[in-house]
Parts: sequence; C-alpha cells; structure tokens
Amino acid sequence: MSLIKVKDLYKIYQMGNTEVRALDGVSVTIEKNEYVSIMGPSGSGKSTLMNLLGCLDTPTSGEFFMDGINVATMGDDELAHIRNKKIGFVFQTFNLLPKSTSLRNVELPLIYNGEIKAHERRDMAIKALTRVNLGDRVSHKPNELSGGQRQRVAVARALVNNPAIILADEPTGNLDSKTGEEIMVLFDELHKQGNTIILVTHEEHIAAHASRVVRLLDGKIAVDEATNRGKP
Amino acid sequence: MKSFFWENLRIALSELWSHKTRSILTGTGIVIGIIAVSLMSTLINGVDGLFEESMKFLGRGNLYIEKWPWFGDEDWWTLRNRPRIELDMADEIKERSEYAMVVAAERGRSANLSYKDLSAENIYIHGVTSNYPEVSTVDVEFGRFFTESEDRTGAQVVLLGSEVAKTLFPQGNPVDKMIFAGSKRFRVIGVLAEMGKFMGAFSNDTQVIIPLATFNKIFHGPWGRRSITVKVPEHLVEEAKEELRGVVRVLRGLKPEEKDNFAINQQNAFRQTYQGIKLAIGGTGMIITALSLLVGGIGIANIMFVSVKERTREIGVRKALGATRSQIQGQFLIEAMVITASGGLVGLIISTVISMAISKFLFPATMSFGVAFMAIALSAAVGLFAGLAPARKGAKLDPIEALRYE
Ligand SMILES: Nc1ncnc2c1ncn2[C@@H]1O[C@H](COP(=O)(O)OP(=O)(O)O)[C@@H](O)[C@H]1O
Ligand SMILES: [Mg+2]
Repeated sequence: MSLIKVKDLYKIYQMGNTEVRALDGVSVTIEKNEYVSIMGPSGSGKSTLMNLLGCLDTPTSGEFFMDGINVATMGDDELAHIRNKKIGFVFQTFNLLPKSTSLRNVELPLIYNGEIKAHERRDMAIKALTRVNLGDRVSHKPNELSGGQRQRVAVARALVNNPAIILADEPTGNLDSKTGEEIMVLFDELHKQGNTIILVTHEEHIAAHASRVVRLLDGKIAVDEATNRGKP
Repeated sequence: MKSFFWENLRIALSELWSHKTRSILTGTGIVIGIIAVSLMSTLINGVDGLFEESMKFLGRGNLYIEKWPWFGDEDWWTLRNRPRIELDMADEIKERSEYAMVVAAERGRSANLSYKDLSAENIYIHGVTSNYPEVSTVDVEFGRFFTESEDRTGAQVVLLGSEVAKTLFPQGNPVDKMIFAGSKRFRVIGVLAEMGKFMGAFSNDTQVIIPLATFNKIFHGPWGRRSITVKVPEHLVEEAKEELRGVVRVLRGLKPEEKDNFAINQQNAFRQTYQGIKLAIGGTGMIITALSLLVGGIGIANIMFVSVKERTREIGVRKALGATRSQIQGQFLIEAMVITASGGLVGLIISTVISMAISKFLFPATMSFGVAFMAIALSAAVGLFAGLAPARKGAKLDPIEALRYE
C-alpha cells in the first residue's frame, strides 16, 4: 500500500469574482521511504500541496489516502490526530515557541499525543535532540541559538513522534548556503534511516538531495521524475 | 485528559509570569470583588452572632410596656407628648392579664458613685422590682438579690455590675461595704456576674441595681427610662400582646377612637429591624461584588483576547503539531481561571487578615470554610466565563492562517 495516494486534488479559492486554482487536479503517489522534492515557481501551489499532505488543510475536492485511510473527508480533531501521530513539519521560519527551551519545543508533539508520561517525553525529546547533534543545547531558548541550530531543533521536533512522513516547506530558505547544506545532510541521514521525506524548495542543488522531483506549474504537475541521485 | 490540565496549568503560569504587571493589574478587579463578598459574609456572620448574643438580654417571651416604641416611624412630637408609664400599673396588669406570668417594673438614670476615694462616674442606676431576675438575665455572682420586703420598704441596698465592682473595689469583697450614690449611702448586698455588651456597644456591666421603691424615694422628676416588663409564654407572645394592649388601654381609660398612647415592645422588633439592616448591608455588598467581578471579568476577557491575538502564531504551531480545538481552548480557559483564582486567593488572604483585625478589636468575625470555598469557586467561575469567548476564538483559528500571522 502506498503511503500517500492523491487523486484529482483541487484547492480552489474564491476571491470575489475570480477563482484561484491553487491546485488544479493533482494526482501523485508517494511510497514509504521516498525522498521527494517539490519545485515550481512562486505561486505554483507548492505550499498548498504541502499543507494538504500535512493535513493542515482540506481539499476542495479530490481523494487523499494516507496509509489507506481516507483523509480528505476528516474533521478537525481527526486531522489534528493525524498531524500529531503521522506527520512531522519543518517550516521555513522554524516556528519554535520563543519562550520555551529546545527540550520543551521538542516535547510539544508528545504532549499533544496525550499518552506519553512526562519522563518518557523527556527521554524521547533528548534522544531526538541528540540525533540532530544538539544534545548539549537542551535548555537553550531559540534566541540563544543560531539559525541552523534552530532549524535543527525544528527537525528534532518533527521526528520525535516517529512520524510516517517528514514534510519540510523550504527548510533552508532562511539559512545561508553552508548551514542549509548541513540541514540537508541531516535530511539525507534521516532518509537513510528509513524516513519518508517530502520537501519544497526552489533551489536545484537542494532538490538534488532527493531521489525524485515533482515540478508544479499553475497548480498542476508539470514534471514528475527521478533525479540523478534517484536514477539507478 | 489529566495530563493536559497540568500542561495547560504550566503554560498558564509561565505565560502569566512573563507578563507579571499585566497579570496583576488584570487580577485586581477580582481581588476587590472577592474581598467584598468574603468580608461581607464574614461580617454578617459575626454580626449575627453578636445579635443573637444580645437578644438573650431580651427574653423571647418578654413584652415591654414603654412610652417610646423601639422602632417605627411615628411622629416624634406625638410620641414625646405621651404620658409617662405609670409603674404602679404593674400590679393591675398582673391581676387582669391571663397571660402574664411575671410583671416587673423598672426605672433608670445615671449618677456618680463613690467608695472612699474611688469613684465611678455616669453609672446607670437601675431601680427594679424584686422579681426582676425572673424577667432578665442578671445573675448574682456574690451576695444576694434584694427581697420583696426590702423593695417595699425602700431599703438602701445595691447590687453592683461587675465592672462597677472592679472600679470601686479593685481588690477585696464589696459585699456589706457602704457606697455613695450622690449623697445617699447604700449597702452593697451583691455583685452581678459579667454579662457583656448589648449589640457590642452598651455594657450591661457598668450598671447598679437598687429596689424600685428606693429609686422612687431618692430620684424625683420625670427623666429616665420607665418600663414594665411582662413575661408571657413564648409561644403565645402575639396573643398576649393583643390582650395586654387592651388591658393597658382600659387602665388608661382610652376611648375606642383614641390611639394607643404607649408602646408594647418586644424582641421581634429588633429582629425585624435587624433583618432589614442585614439585607441592606448584604445587598450593598452583593452589588459591590457583582460590579467588581463584572468589571474584573470584562478586563480579563479583554486581556485574553489580546493574549490570543499576540499568540496567534503559537496557536498555529501548537495546532500544526497536533493540538485539538479543545486542547487550545482549555489552555486559554485555564489561563483565565488561573488569573481569577489567584486574584480570589489574594482577596481571600486580605479579607482573612481584615477579619482577624475585626475579631481582635470589634467583635468575633471568623471566615468560615464555606465562605472561603465560595470565594474561590466564584472567582474561578468568573475566569471561566471571561475566558470562554477568547479561548473559543483561539481554538477556532485556522492553523495555516495562524502560522502565517506576523
Ligand atoms: N488562503 C488563500 N486565499 C486565497 N488564495 C490563496 C490562499 N493561499 C494560497 N493562495 C493562492 O494559491 C496559489 C498557490 O499558493 P502557494 O501554494 O502558497 O504557492 P507557492 O507555495 O508555490 O508559492 C497562489 O496564487 C496563492 O495566491
Ligand atoms: Mg510557499
């Protein structure tokens, strides 16, 4: 069974008299442990697709199965549960809670899981921070960390729940190229360890880390192909 | 669900801690409201106790025939022109009334007392009939009360209130000593047990008691209190009052169309007036409480709206990471309730201190557990109501828009 199976997905915004087709009939299938980058010009619908795949949003129409479960028709709370259990987000702007330590930030998804005891949460969060090489920064707050370190905290937060997919929307967009590359090395490692990764970027050398690239244009998939790295 | 409560409590506390001044200002209205309500109930409880204590001085089955009504809105001039109560009616009343069990008469005025070089000024001299102990709570601690024959003959004997005894006889037994009231010599035959104050103000222990006949013999003139106390069965007090009214009217020779020119007073008059006062105090307290809680609640709702707005992005992040609507709503509700409950707690501490001071200097007033519980519950409820709308607004935010919020 495919991890993600999307068919004829539409997201249409009604802006007064004009309708904006942010997604205009997208069909795509993504298997477990794939490493996919989504590219396309600004406004082509990349973020919209990511938000739908991340269950932050619901489509205007279309089918969306995750692990065989129909997600397109789910309600708010069910979507929140899917986000909590199956999805790890990494954002361009990090989106850490500014007043909380790295540890607290990474613990957040576990808190909303509701079934994990406090000391287990702590252990899991420390383990995740160690995986991104921040084992010595657990009690730092975001403003005491560099941009690259902040994004690594965000990555730790994304993987602490052992999600089925890690979604990253321009994760290197706010970083210089050297730190961006470090983050990409981290994603490569996570991929090697068996994680499924989907990332949005507009930089070819970032996209080249993935094994498959999906190019969007005006809300439609223009190209869907293996990268050099993904070619056998 | 329990773990979210502690989590939300933790978030609330750290959030409030990082906005200390704002939290304190916001909670002030609640503090005032809780002080008002808890102090009010404590005071009313205290005054209640005081009142019941005082009412013991006025037996439930006692009717007091006097010139002045204790309460009422009759014209002062009419009352002023009423004739004095003829104390010698007492015997007739005893004879004619079916209900009267004891009929005692009394007069009073103040005078200065002295013993050797010690003196007690402005002491209430109470002239009473020898059956007075049967209609009052006086209790002889040392010595004895006077006899009927001492009353009849106008013997110059006196019983001292406990305070008077202490003043004139700092050490030693007053019994059988001779004291002066004005220029008259009296032999002390007893000392009254301590009685306390009436309504926390008029001490019953600074009086002395002498036989009524002696009083009549020494003090002439119209001034001073005159009263006939009729003791009747407690459960027949209303019937007895009617009967007594008729008896006194006949004795006074009033024609049917003439109004009563005397008053029959009873404990009930105090009770009714007291209830009225209590209601007024309680009502005022309630209005103050309601207003300050309302204003405080609006302030908290306002601050919570600000807080939700400021933390839009945070809400977006939490939702993206899997927080449900009810978890977000709970977070802000608990935050609002933490503000109000802490305000309530502070208010409670302040009013406990104030009521301790009142107990020490005025009258017994202790905060009951029920009042404390009610105050905390009330303040938490205000938080719940004030926080509801902002919390729902936060919970309903769309995660994508919230994450995009600058
Ligand atoms: N909430 C919205 N309301 C109206 N139009 C939107 C909204 N979100 C996105 N769009 C439009 O949908 C299109 C795709 O947007 P987006 O997915 O953010 O593009 P990308 O991430 O590729 O730059 C754009 O034309 C954008 O203006
Ligand atoms: Mg975008």
